[in-house]
Amino acid sequence: MGARYGMVIDLDRCTGCGSCMIACASENNVPALPQASPRTGLTPVLVRKVSNGQSGAGRRETFIPIMCMHCEHETPCVKVCPQQAVELDKATGIVMQMPQRCLGCRYCMTACPYHARFFNWWDPAWPQGMEKSLNPGVAVRMRGVVEKCNLCHARLHAAKEKAAAAGKRDIDSSDYVPACVEACPTNAIHFGNLADPNDPVSKEARSPQAFRLLARLGTEPKVYYKSTENWVRNLAEPNSAQGSEVQHG
Amino acid sequence: MKLSRRDLLVWSAGAAAGLLATPVPWKILDDTSIWSQNWPWIPQPARCPVETRQSVCTLCPKGCGLRVRMAGGWAVGVAGLNTHPLSRGALCPLAYAAHQLNWHPQRLRVVQHRTNPSSWEQARAAFAKASKEGPVVIIDGYPGRAASALFETYTEGRDGNYCVVPSPEIRALTPYESWTGVPAHCLGYDLENTRTIVSFGAPLLDGWGTPGRFTRIWADRAAGRSDPELRLIQIDSSLSRTAARAWRWVRSREGTHAALASGLARALLEQNLVPAHGPIPATTLAESAVQCDISMEAILELGRSLVAKSPTLVIARDDSPAIAALNVLLGSVGARGGVVRHSQHSNLRSYTGSDVQNARAVLIDSSVPWNFMPQTDAEVFRFAAWHGASTKADWLLPAPGFLEELTDVPTPPASSLASYAVAPPLVKSATEVHSAAQFLSSIDARLIPTEKMIYTRCEDLFRRRAGTVHAHSAIPISELASVQKLVEQLWQGAVWVGEPSPDKLRCRLQEWPSATRSSPPDDGITDWIPPVMPALASKLYVESTLREAAERRKAWAPATAW
Amino acid sequence: MRRWRNPLVFAFGVAVALFLGWVAFPRVLYSQKHQPLDFLHKTHAEKSGLTDCAECHVIREDGIFAGLPATEKCAGCHSERIGESKAEAILVDSYIKPAQETPWLVYSRQPANVWFSHAIHVKRANLSCAECHSSYGEQDSVRMYQVNRISGYSRDLWGHSMSRLRNGPHEGMKMSDCEKCHRQRNVEVGCLGCHQ
Repeated sequence: MGARYGMVIDLDRCTGCGSCMIACASENNVPALPQASPRTGLTPVLVRKVSNGQSGAGRRETFIPIMCMHCEHETPCVKVCPQQAVELDKATGIVMQMPQRCLGCRYCMTACPYHARFFNWWDPAWPQGMEKSLNPGVAVRMRGVVEKCNLCHARLHAAKEKAAAAGKRDIDSSDYVPACVEACPTNAIHFGNLADPNDPVSKEARSPQAFRLLARLGTEPKVYYKSTENWVRNLAEPNSAQGSEVQHG
Repeated sequence: MKLSRRDLLVWSAGAAAGLLATPVPWKILDDTSIWSQNWPWIPQPARCPVETRQSVCTLCPKGCGLRVRMAGGWAVGVAGLNTHPLSRGALCPLAYAAHQLNWHPQRLRVVQHRTNPSSWEQARAAFAKASKEGPVVIIDGYPGRAASALFETYTEGRDGNYCVVPSPEIRALTPYESWTGVPAHCLGYDLENTRTIVSFGAPLLDGWGTPGRFTRIWADRAAGRSDPELRLIQIDSSLSRTAARAWRWVRSREGTHAALASGLARALLEQNLVPAHGPIPATTLAESAVQCDISMEAILELGRSLVAKSPTLVIARDDSPAIAALNVLLGSVGARGGVVRHSQHSNLRSYTGSDVQNARAVLIDSSVPWNFMPQTDAEVFRFAAWHGASTKADWLLPAPGFLEELTDVPTPPASSLASYAVAPPLVKSATEVHSAAQFLSSIDARLIPTEKMIYTRCEDLFRRRAGTVHAHSAIPISELASVQKLVEQLWQGAVWVGEPSPDKLRCRLQEWPSATRSSPPDDGITDWIPPVMPALASKLYVESTLREAAERRKAWAPATAW
Repeated sequence: MRRWRNPLVFAFGVAVALFLGWVAFPRVLYSQKHQPLDFLHKTHAEKSGLTDCAECHVIREDGIFAGLPATEKCAGCHSERIGESKAEAILVDSYIKPAQETPWLVYSRQPANVWFSHAIHVKRANLSCAECHSSYGEQDSVRMYQVNRISGYSRDLWGHSMSRLRNGPHEGMKMSDCEKCHRQRNVEVGCLGCHQ
C-alpha cells in the first residue's frame, strides 16, 4: 500500500499573511503577469478570508488556504479529462497534473468542486534577467494548459534522489516538505502521510475538530482543516459543530 | 512520350502512397509535437545542480535567517533557516520572492542626475564638491551596521550630522528613554518569557518585529487553545489580522489608545491590582470610558485580565508615552517578560526636520524607507536598489540589491538579547552598484572599509568570550578555537546571540504622561514600506482578497509591459 | 505498353518517395554541429588512468548528478597545457583561463519537463553507464552532434535508425524507450515519476 500524502491546515493559526501563496508561486515558477486579474490569475494556493457575517464587535474572521484537495474517490478532474493528462498516483496519493499532455479544454476546471485548477491564459514571461531566478526543479508551462498544485513534486524528486544516493529505499520525511508548509510562519499547515496511523497528521485528521470542505460530495479530499471555533466548522458543514464555543477575539 | 497531367497526378499519388511508407510524415508529426510542447520562446530554468547556502536577509533591519538555493551563480529559491534563534525558520511573505527582486523592472541600474543618466565619477565629484562647500547630513535607516559606524566616522570632525530613521518598533520604545536613561535602540521586549501581551494596535502577527519570532512563540503557546499559556489581548478599532487571532479583541474607538491606557491604569489602581506608589493619570476612569466608547465595567474587567497571568507586557504601535507608562505601572520595565535592555550603545540621533535645514548635501542610505521625504533644498544623494515613490532626489545612485553585498546584521528591533550576524554576498550584480558606505570610502581614503570593520567586530566578540553561536547547534563562543572559526561560522549564516544584560534597568516615572495624541514623526514614517514589492507578492495579493482594496492598489506595482 | 503506363508512373512515384524519404530526408532533417572542442574519452581513460565514469561524472551525496564536469574539474590537470593537441589549446585558452563553462552539446539532453534521476538508476537499479549511453566512454573519436531541425533535440533521442527498428539495444532515449525498460523490469512509476 502506497503513501497517501495529505494535509491538515489549522485555521486557528492562519493569520492570512500569504507567505504560502508566494512560496508556492515562487517554487513552481508561476509568472506574475500584469494582465492577470483575480478571475484569470494563477494561484495554486489561494488564501481566502471568511467571516461570520456580523459587523462591529461581534465580527469574527478567519483565513482559509485552498489548494488542490487531491481527491481520492472518483476524482472529478481525472474522470473528465479527455487526454488522461491527470492521474491519481497509487504510490503517493497525489493527483498528478501533466501540463505537457493537457490540450486546454478546461473541462477539469469545471469539474473541480474547489476551484483549485488554473488556466495559463498567456505565455509566461518574466522581466529580462529574471529567468535566472527560476527554480530548476520545475518546468515552465506554456499558454493553453491547465495547472494546479502537485504537492511540490520537485521536492519529492529531490528527496527520492537523496535517498537513492544514500542507498535507502524510502525517503526521509523531513526531506519532503512542500513550499507552503515550509513557508507558514505559524506552522498552520501540517503535511504528512494519512496512510500511516502513527503519523501526527493522520491523527489530527481523525480528531473531532477536523473537517473537510464539501465532504458530502464524496470525493474524499485529502486536505483537512481544523478549527476550535464553532462558527468556522459550521460554515463548512452547517450545524456540524455543537457544544460550547471556544472564545476567541 | 509526352508527359501529361494525368502522369503527374498518378506520379503524385504514387509519391503520396510511398511517402506513407517512409519516416517522413510520422517523424514530422512526432518532431512537431515535441516542438509544440517545448516552444523555444518559453523561458526555462537553468540546467545546473542546486547548492544551498545560508545567509541573512537585509531587505529590512529584522535580520531573518535564510536558506538560499543557488544554481549557476544565481539565487533560485529562498526559505527560512530553522536554526536561527530569532526568526526560527519563518520569513515575511516578501522574502519568498526576494530572489527575483534584483531583476524587478524598477531596479535602479544607472546613476541618474535629475532624471538624466550620469556616472559614478560625476556623482563622486559632485559629492566631494558639496562636502567642501557646506554641512553634509547622512541619514541611515538601518543603524548599528559597520556601514553605520562608517557614516558616523565620516560626519565626526566635519560639519554635518549623522542621524537615523528608526523602525516603528524602536520608535515605540522611545518613551522609555527619558525614564530609564537607556536609548531606545538598546531596548527590546522579552516576548519569550511573558504570559500576557496587551498590544495597542501593534500588528504583532502581521509583520511586527522579526516575523518568525512572535508568530512562532504565539503558535507554540497560544494558537487554538481556550486557555493559552500566552494571552494576547489586541486593542484595535477594527478587526485586524492580529485581532482576529488574538485571545481577546478589545474594540476601541479610532485614536483613543492613549485614553484607554490611562483608563486601564486607573482600573488597575482602583482595584489594587498594582502597587500604588507611582504616578496617577489625570483623567478619571469615567472620562476614559467615554473617550474610548467602552463601558467602565469593561475597562475594569480588562484591567483584571491584564494581571491574571503575569508577567504582562504592553506593546504600543507608536511612541505614545501614556501607553508606555502602563508598563511602568505593571512593573514590566526591566523585569523578566517585560521591556529589557539588550546591549550597551551610545545614543543615536533620530532624524528631525531641522537636521537638514542648513545642509548643503544630504546622503540617504538605501536602507531608508521610500516614504521618507526630507523637506530640504540641499543636494540629495539617494542610494537605492529599486525606484520607489517619486521623491526629490538630485542623484539616484544604484545600491546593491538582495544578497549582493557583504554587510553585517546587528541586533534586530524589539529583540531581548543582543545578536550579530553577517550576510555574505551570494550573487553578483548585473550593473555597477555601490553602497553608500563604499561610495564614501572611495572619496575619503581615511575611512576604514566595512569589510575590515566587520572583521574587527568579530574579533571583539571573540575576545569578550560571552554569548553563543547558533549554527546547526548552539555553541558557546568560548568553545571556538579562534577568530577564524567564528568568522567561518558567521559567513555561513550562523548568528551570535549575547547573554541577558546583568544590570538592572532602573525606571523612574515622575508623572503620568498626558493622553494627548502623539504628533506624527518628522520623517512621516509610521510603517516600514518596502521600496517595491516583488511582482509575485503584488500579483498574489491582487488575485486574492487577502489585502483590502486600498492597500491592494498601493501594493500593485505599476503595470509594466515586459 | 499503354496498359502499364499508369502503374509504372505510380511505381516511379513510389520509388522517388521511398528514396527521398529514406535517404534524403534524414540528411535534411538533421543538421550537424561541432562540439566546442574534440574531447576524447579513450585518451583520458588510457593515458590518465581515469577509467571510472564516476571520476568526472559525479553523483553528489544529495543525489544530484553533476553530469558534465565543470571547467574547474578539467583545470585540475589542464590548468596549463600538458599536451600538444589543438583541442587542449582551445580548452585552456577559451575556457579554463577565462573561467568560462564549456558549452558542450549534450547528446542525451531531454526537454525541460523530463526528470531523470541518475542516482536512482545507477545506485538503486544498478544500471551501468553503457546501458543507456552505449560506448561513449570508449570512443576514440568525437561524434558529430546531429540535431533535429524541427524539434531541436539530438538525434540520439530517436536513435540512428529512422524506422527505430534497427536501433541498437542501447540506443534511443524517447519516452517509449524508458517505458520499455520499466515494463521489462516491472517498475511502475506514475507520470510525475519521470516528469516535472
